[in-house]
Amino acid sequence: MTSPAPVTRTGTAAAAADAVQYLTFALDGELFAVPIEHIREIIEFGGLTAVPLTPTFLRGVINLRGAVVPVVDLAARFGRSGTTIGKRTCIVILEVETTGRTLPVGVLVDTVNEVLSTDRSQIEPRPPFGARLRADFICGMFSQGERFVIVLDIQQVLSVEEMADLIGLALEEHAA
Amino acid sequence: MDMDMARDALVQESRELLSAMEAALLQIEDSGADSEAINAIFRAAHTIKGSAGLFAFNRIVSFTHIVESVLDRVRNGVLPIDNAMLSLLLNCGDYIAQLVDAIAARLEEVEPDPVRRAELEAQLNQLLDEQDTAPTHSAPAAAAVTHTAQEPTVSEDPVASPYWHLSLRFSADVLRMGLDPLSFLQYLGNVGTLLNLQTLPEGLPPLAQLDPEQAYIGFELDLQSEQDRAAIDGVFDFIRDDASILILPPHASMREYRALLAARNDPQMLAALLAQGTLTADEAARALLPEQETVEAVSVVAPVAAIEPAMKLPANAPRGDEKKGGYEQKFIKIEVSKLDQLIDLVGELVIAGAGASLIANRRKDSQFEEAVQSIAELVEHIRDAALNLRMVPIGEVFQRFPRVVRDISHELGKEIDLVVTGADTELDKSMVERLSDPLMHIVRNAMDHGIEATDARLAAGKPLAGTLRLNAYHESGSIVIEVSDDGRGLNKARILAKAIERGLVSAEQVLSEREVFRLIFEAGFSTAEQVTNLSGRGVGMDVVKKNIESLRGEVEIVSTEGAGTTVRIRLPLTLAIIDGFQVMVNESVFVIPLDLVIECIDLAGLDGHHDIVKLRGEPLPFIRLRELFELPALEHGRESLVVVQFGQQRAGLVVDRLLGEFQAVIKPLGELFSRIKSISGSTILGDGRVALILDVANLVHQAVQQQATTQNGKAATGLVSPQKSNG
Repeated sequence: MTSPAPVTRTGTAAAAADAVQYLTFALDGELFAVPIEHIREIIEFGGLTAVPLTPTFLRGVINLRGAVVPVVDLAARFGRSGTTIGKRTCIVILEVETTGRTLPVGVLVDTVNEVLSTDRSQIEPRPPFGARLRADFICGMFSQGERFVIVLDIQQVLSVEEMADLIGLALEEHAA
Repeated sequence: MDMDMARDALVQESRELLSAMEAALLQIEDSGADSEAINAIFRAAHTIKGSAGLFAFNRIVSFTHIVESVLDRVRNGVLPIDNAMLSLLLNCGDYIAQLVDAIAARLEEVEPDPVRRAELEAQLNQLLDEQDTAPTHSAPAAAAVTHTAQEPTVSEDPVASPYWHLSLRFSADVLRMGLDPLSFLQYLGNVGTLLNLQTLPEGLPPLAQLDPEQAYIGFELDLQSEQDRAAIDGVFDFIRDDASILILPPHASMREYRALLAARNDPQMLAALLAQGTLTADEAARALLPEQETVEAVSVVAPVAAIEPAMKLPANAPRGDEKKGGYEQKFIKIEVSKLDQLIDLVGELVIAGAGASLIANRRKDSQFEEAVQSIAELVEHIRDAALNLRMVPIGEVFQRFPRVVRDISHELGKEIDLVVTGADTELDKSMVERLSDPLMHIVRNAMDHGIEATDARLAAGKPLAGTLRLNAYHESGSIVIEVSDDGRGLNKARILAKAIERGLVSAEQVLSEREVFRLIFEAGFSTAEQVTNLSGRGVGMDVVKKNIESLRGEVEIVSTEGAGTTVRIRLPLTLAIIDGFQVMVNESVFVIPLDLVIECIDLAGLDGHHDIVKLRGEPLPFIRLRELFELPALEHGRESLVVVQFGQQRAGLVVDRLLGEFQAVIKPLGELFSRIKSISGSTILGDGRVALILDVANLVHQAVQQQATTQNGKAATGLVSPQKSNG
């Protein structure tokens, strides 16, 4: 399944200085990765409260041990149709920087795969087009066997400022 | 406590003291000098100096020292406390505040405004010089104690030591009173050079019994100084009441030293004097010889004896001074973060409690239910008490205005009286801090634009002095703060003309009076013909509105032309926990702040055509939340109407089910949701799910707007549910 050289499962990898660990997950049949230092925890899907009049990418809010955390539907955020909730649907809680603070934001993913360690030099720059994704959402990519894993730029994908603007726009549309 | 925390504490304490000092100065200006107020000013200046001295913040120490010297003379009636003095002291207070700000900004090495400082110091020193050249020197009463023994220029039987000798004993409580003996020793450096110092652990108990908050140690020291006794003595002005200070001049007589030893009555003391070379071995031996002039020695001992009893008390005995103990025990300082932590925990407790009662209800075990019920009641009390800890009187904000009004009215050449009412109305501490700036803008505006110049007032037949009122009161779960003036009022025509000129509204639009006044809060709006120092630059009122809205509050203006203007701010009492009323719309639970709920009615029995019901003869417009929030309809429609009131407005909210009251711990939704005005926050229900809290005022406002848009800008006559365009 995994390719031999650059990408190794954690634990077997001698923690090379330049190795970066990624959490990989599947979304709509494609693989994505996020550096694990952005990840706080992974929880089962459930207990979601929808917030009225918000765009589809905002699935709602959950109670994470007393804190109210927004949950973003990544597929919808990427402009695709929203995620269908399945047995293996998870919420990955990420930490996003905003105006000097870290904010927990949950993202909805189809399945969480594994944590991979890969050398920084193995990360390729983002392609000029393709990937059906806004270029600024992509940090780079690396190959895993025959497939490419897209490393997401979490700050861009979950930009609080941008998402708040989109929510504001949606509200104005409703009002009109 | 690390240094940063200590520094923050210093900054905070100094700011509090400065505002106390300012309040006292204004009180004197208002109702004449009184010793209590003068002492308060003293204490403030002195404590600031002392605390700053601990950190070696020398800029603040040296400046405050001069201020203190002047204050000392004021206290003793040597210098008069007239208007010039008050203004000078107020300005000095401002400068000290600047120095404190510099410390807060970690810029204590930089003089904030050297020119200003030089000016103030020159004025202060001039006062001091005038007084020094004056022939009569009325020494402070307390100082007289040590002054009684006026040193002869050449004493009989002098000792060899060419230095001043100081013998200091502090009362055990001195540290608790905020006076640190060490800072006084540090100050001595300003009048001379400290040569020898011996500590006398006279009253020091064994380590196990040692109370680190008590002062035990006495000091014997030699000082080389060209200054006179008054200058050296002056160093101890503020600790005199809590210490025994004996000062012997250079070449003092043996007799004086014998008296000193007798007064101290400490066997180790002679050894100390000998060890540090104050007395030679020969002199020390002679000091032990029987006294020949015993009678005369009394002149020194007698006044000392008056102080001694306090000193001789066992170190841990309480001081019998109840007046001082009184105010110290009234308050306890707590770090805000600790308080917030407590409130977070109480919030968790409330949520967990709600979970427990849910289970109890399901079990149908009456004993269990009862137990949970009584716990819930206690939790409610704890919640109230915890929230109460954060409540502070709004007077904290109001207190800076007497000074502001005084200064600005001088600047404008207007006579303005400030009337403050409701200063003890309480609100959440976190709001107090954020309320200060908007209020300042409003007050300045009122004085600058609202209240007319004196001649205009006379022409209008109004009293010469304008009146500015600050008022606060509680009203249906909110705090209302009003700033009113009896000035010229708002000119509707002028505001409208300006707004049309600025393109804020079109000339054809018909606006109600309230809507016209609202225009003042638009960005870039200012009708002042003359831009003054204070206001009129078109910034301010829009910022005011934004600030108030960020506190989930609202602001409105009531004005009668020629008679005055009132700016009314309405704010929620707290940002932490509310009593909520749970309702269900489709499958979603929403929470309405209980304070706003008047009653609930079954909608089935009412005729709801045009989304207006007749309730006891009155028409009540209502909003269907399901439509507003675009939620799918339920099959079995048995809807309820929740009647809410906010301010003077009433409206109905149609929901599917009523779930009842509960305590809602408010969890902010954060920046992401900042644009959603109809929801003010969220809370966690007993089953762990998140419910959204409705912002009723904004929700109704939004519904009105939607309806206005769908009706293509036709003037709104009432509150009608939005006609959804489904698009």
